[in-house]
Amino acid sequence: MQSPRGLILRRRASNLVSKALGVAATLFGLSWLFWILVVTLINGARALSPRIFTEITPPPGADGGLANALVGSAVMSVLGVLIGAPLGIAAGTYLAEFAERRPVWRETIRFVNDILLSAPSIVLGLFVYTIVVRQIGHFSGLAGALALGLIVLPVVVRTTDETLRLVPNMMREAALSLGIPRWKVTVQVLYRAALPGILTGVLLGLARITGETAPLLFTALNNQFWSSNLNGPTASVPVVIFQFAMSPYDAWHSLAWAGAFVVTMVVLALSVGARAFLLKNRMDSNA
Amino acid sequence: MPSDTPLIHTVTGANGADPPGVTAGPARSKIQVKALDFFYGGYHALKSVNLDIPEQQITAIIGPSGCGKSTLLRVFNRIYSVYAGLEATGQVLLDGENILDPRYSLNRLRTRVGMVFQKAVPFPLSIFENVAFGLRHHVRLSRGEMEDRVEKALREAALWDEVKDKLHTSALGLSGGQQQRLCIARAVALRPQVLLLDEPTSALDPIATGRVEQLLSDLQREYTIVIVTHNMQQAARVSAFTAYMYLGEMVEFGSTAELFTRPQRRQTEDYITGRFG
Repeated sequence: MQSPRGLILRRRASNLVSKALGVAATLFGLSWLFWILVVTLINGARALSPRIFTEITPPPGADGGLANALVGSAVMSVLGVLIGAPLGIAAGTYLAEFAERRPVWRETIRFVNDILLSAPSIVLGLFVYTIVVRQIGHFSGLAGALALGLIVLPVVVRTTDETLRLVPNMMREAALSLGIPRWKVTVQVLYRAALPGILTGVLLGLARITGETAPLLFTALNNQFWSSNLNGPTASVPVVIFQFAMSPYDAWHSLAWAGAFVVTMVVLALSVGARAFLLKNRMDSNA
Repeated sequence: MPSDTPLIHTVTGANGADPPGVTAGPARSKIQVKALDFFYGGYHALKSVNLDIPEQQITAIIGPSGCGKSTLLRVFNRIYSVYAGLEATGQVLLDGENILDPRYSLNRLRTRVGMVFQKAVPFPLSIFENVAFGLRHHVRLSRGEMEDRVEKALREAALWDEVKDKLHTSALGLSGGQQQRLCIARAVALRPQVLLLDEPTSALDPIATGRVEQLLSDLQREYTIVIVTHNMQQAARVSAFTAYMYLGEMVEFGSTAELFTRPQRRQTEDYITGRFG
């Protein structure tokens, strides 16, 4: 039998040790992120200039910017979300609200969606390459947007499904007991309750595809010039970074750093913004 | 317990101890439950329940947890049918029409039979929109008419004076008691004939409970009210008729005064005197 004093000391010691281990593990994990961020920020900030946003990607040895790549990335990412998000919201809604009576079917879709969620993005790029690029015979920004949409899709399906399932059943019952049909209850009441979660999913999907390289390599390829034809090869920041970073030219390296900086900032802002939005709404609804 | 428990009808009321609102003589039945069985998958939750719910009176359903009283209430507007695997057999007649008939429109049923739940669940909308929500779907009203209907419903629910200056703020900011009265307003806005309440005050403090009970006795002039409650004092205070259920069976039904002072069955007596067990 231990003395109570000994017991307390032992518990304090084990508490201290587990706390220290936990903090150390967290710091270890965060240090890499921090390192990446700091290096990107320092090198990127050095390479940053207004020309990044006004001039197009230069040939070797010349000066230039990233304007065509930034525009291409923005357009393809937004199109990707426009393709993936509505489908994802509809599918997530089906899973959460309308598949009650077909549990096997529902769980199968959830499982398949999880596979799509963890599929390597290069596989999605190859898939779109096979079914679109090969068929039409040329690279296309639209095919790139489709590949990005396929990445957004499972993210939005999952978040929509999960946030709708978090809405208490009582709210469904309360709305249904007013004699209002299920679809209207879903659209006018449940979506409103789940909106922060669904929007967060869409923003996180956008953040995810903004930095994607692999699915664009086989679909949109790249473009050194301004192109108003979305159905042709289209420049994007991640692919430009990939190309320029692998090149032997200092000017290209510096542009790659600038591109990395811009993409990192955009993704960071989207992620932080999405989470802040979710948090604010949670606190509001708890108030 | 024999499963063919004869139902005791004492729909007479009218003695000195009756709560106000009980009229002498047999009341007309609003809802007639005939040989109702209910199954949660394989679980037999209601066993051949028979019950006549009189019009424009408050009927309380009491009984220990799990006795099926909420289940019975949830049959009256078929809200149970939201979930897979639940089944009701038998007849539930609303004004003589069997609502369990699949041809009976759910939306029509639910505009006639409103429901208020144990926990107040305001929609994530403004106070005004919470009340207007059901109305917008069922009737086409001008802006002014809508405002009148919302005000009337909020007055009926004794909430108007507290919210009239903040109608367009979120309903989530109301207190628990106010939220529950808002849910009552939302239900009465559709002018249902029957109002179902599933333990409406179990999450409320005594003052808010008192307000809701007062409200119920005001509302019974226009609505047939069925209230499920854990609280026997509440049943005794507000209702004209009380049904006692146990293990999915209707043990006794009669005027509240009668049931609480001269219960016909031993089981009922044991429960209301706290000797249950």
